[in-house]
Amino acid sequence: MQFNDPIIKLDSVWTTYEGAARPVIKDVNMQVHAGEFVLVGGPNGAGKTTLLETIAGLLPVIHGTISVCGNDPVHEGCKVRKKVGYVIQNFDFHPFTPFNVEEIVLMGRYGKIGWFKRHSDYDFQKVREALDILGILSISKDQIGKLSGGQQQKVLIAQNLAKEPDVLLLDEPFSNLDILAREEVCKILCRIAESGIPVIIVSHAFDAMPDIDVRVVVMKDGHIVLNQMAKPSDVSNVVRSASIAA
Amino acid sequence: MLEFIISNNVLCHAVEAMLFASVGCAILSVLITQMNISSIGFTMSHAAFAGGAVGAFLGFAVLPSAIIVSICIAFLMGPLSDRTRMNTDTTLGVMFGTMMAVAIFFISLMQGSGRGFEASSLLYGNVISLYREDIYALALITITTIIFFFIFYKEITAIVFHKRLAEISGISVAPVYYGILFLISVMVALCLPIVGGLLLYVWLITPSAIAYQFCGTIKKMFIVAPLVAVVVSVFSAIYGILYSLPVGPLTAVVFSALFIIAVVISPKRRVIIHNH
Repeated sequence: MQFNDPIIKLDSVWTTYEGAARPVIKDVNMQVHAGEFVLVGGPNGAGKTTLLETIAGLLPVIHGTISVCGNDPVHEGCKVRKKVGYVIQNFDFHPFTPFNVEEIVLMGRYGKIGWFKRHSDYDFQKVREALDILGILSISKDQIGKLSGGQQQKVLIAQNLAKEPDVLLLDEPFSNLDILAREEVCKILCRIAESGIPVIIVSHAFDAMPDIDVRVVVMKDGHIVLNQMAKPSDVSNVVRSASIAA
Repeated sequence: MLEFIISNNVLCHAVEAMLFASVGCAILSVLITQMNISSIGFTMSHAAFAGGAVGAFLGFAVLPSAIIVSICIAFLMGPLSDRTRMNTDTTLGVMFGTMMAVAIFFISLMQGSGRGFEASSLLYGNVISLYREDIYALALITITTIIFFFIFYKEITAIVFHKRLAEISGISVAPVYYGILFLISVMVALCLPIVGGLLLYVWLITPSAIAYQFCGTIKKMFIVAPLVAVVVSVFSAIYGILYSLPVGPLTAVVFSALFIIAVVISPKRRVIIHNH
C-alpha cells in the first residue's frame, strides 16, 4: 500500500444478506483516506449498516471489489477484523451477564493477541487507557448488565479503542448517550481521526458534530446518492436535502 | 483408578464414571447455559439417545452408534437452519422431536422382541454396567474438554459473552464453536450409559444453573459448576449403590433439589438497601 492510497476502497460493490432475495447495497463506489471523518446518513433501510458490515467483512460481496487496509474482507475477513474497530448498533446484555467492564474491553484485543497466547501487561495498559479516555475507568470492575444503556455504549466504544484499530466504524454510537456524552464522544472520535485513523459513523443524530470538516455520504435504496465534504454546521441540511432530493 | 480409596470394585467403577462425566458435563453446561444453546444440548442428548437405540436394535455397540449420530446432528444443525430458512430454535425443535421418536420407536421394538433390559438401560442408564473401557473413554473426553478449555479460554469466553462481538474482534469463531459442539456431542454419547437418554440433559444444564446463583464471573462459574456436579454425582452414586436406589434418577433429583435451594438463597435475588 502506498502512502496516499485509500485505506478503504469499494469499487462497484453489491452486497446481500444470506438468503435475501435482493441485494441490500448496489453499485457502491467509495474511497476513504487516512484521517478522514466520514458521516453516513440517509433514511431507514437505506443500507448504511450493511455498508459498515461489508467493510468489516461480515457479509458476502456478490459483485465488485473491496479493499480494507490492503486486505480483501471477503476472503480475509478475520485479518480485516483484527485491524478494524466496529461498534455495533444493537446490543442487549442480560442484567446478570457474568462479565465485568474490564473483561469486555480486553476482549476487543483478543483477535490481535491471536491463538494460543495469553494477554500481556501491554494489553491491560491499552484497556485502562481506553477506559480512561471514555471516562469509565471507575466502573471497570462493574458487571456490564448492571450499567445504563449509555455506559454500555461507552464500554463498546472503549473495547474498540483498546483494539488500536487502523479504521474505526461506528453504527449509531450516540443513540444511548445524553447530549453532553455525545459531545464528549464526538471530541474523542475527532482526535482519533486527526491521529490518522479514518472514522466512519452511521448516525441520525447531528446535534453533536466534530469541529473539523467531514465527508458526508448519503445512502438511499442501497445506493450512494451523495458523497461530498461539508462543514459541521451544514451536515444536517446536506443529509436532509440529499435524502429528499434523490 | 480409585481402587486404593474404594475397595468395592462396582462402587469404584461407578464413582470413577460419575466423577469424569460430572466434571466434563459441568464445564460444558456453563458454555451451554451462558451461550443460550440449551436447545442444542437438549437435541444432542436425544440424538445420542436415538443413535444408541438404533445401534442396540441392529446389534451394534451402543456407544459408537450414539457418538456417530450425535456428531452428525451437531454438524447438521447449523447448515439445516440456514437451508430451511427457519429460526434455529424451530429447526432444533423438529430435530429433537425426530430424535425422540426414533429412540422410542426402536426401544419399543426392542421391548417387543424380549430385550427389555437393554432398552431400559438406554432410557435410564445403569452406572454399574459400565466396562473399564467406557470409563477410560469418559476420562479421555473429560481431559480433552479441560485441555480444549484451557487452550482456547480467551476465545471461549469472548464467544460466550457475545458471538457477534467475538467475530468482530477478529476471532475465528467457527472452529472454536464447532469444537464446543463436537465435545458436547461426544460427551453426551459417552454419558448415555450412565444416566440414560432421558436424564442426560440434567447434567448439561443444572450444574451451571446452580453455580450461576452464586457466581458473578464466568471464571468462578467454571470452578463452582464442576465442584457442585462432582459432589452431587459422587454422593448419588455411593448412596444409590449402597441403598439399591437407581443412580441416574437419584442424581437428577438431588441436582433439582439443590437448584431449588440455590434459587431460594441466591444473593442475586437480594435487594440491597443503602442507608446514607
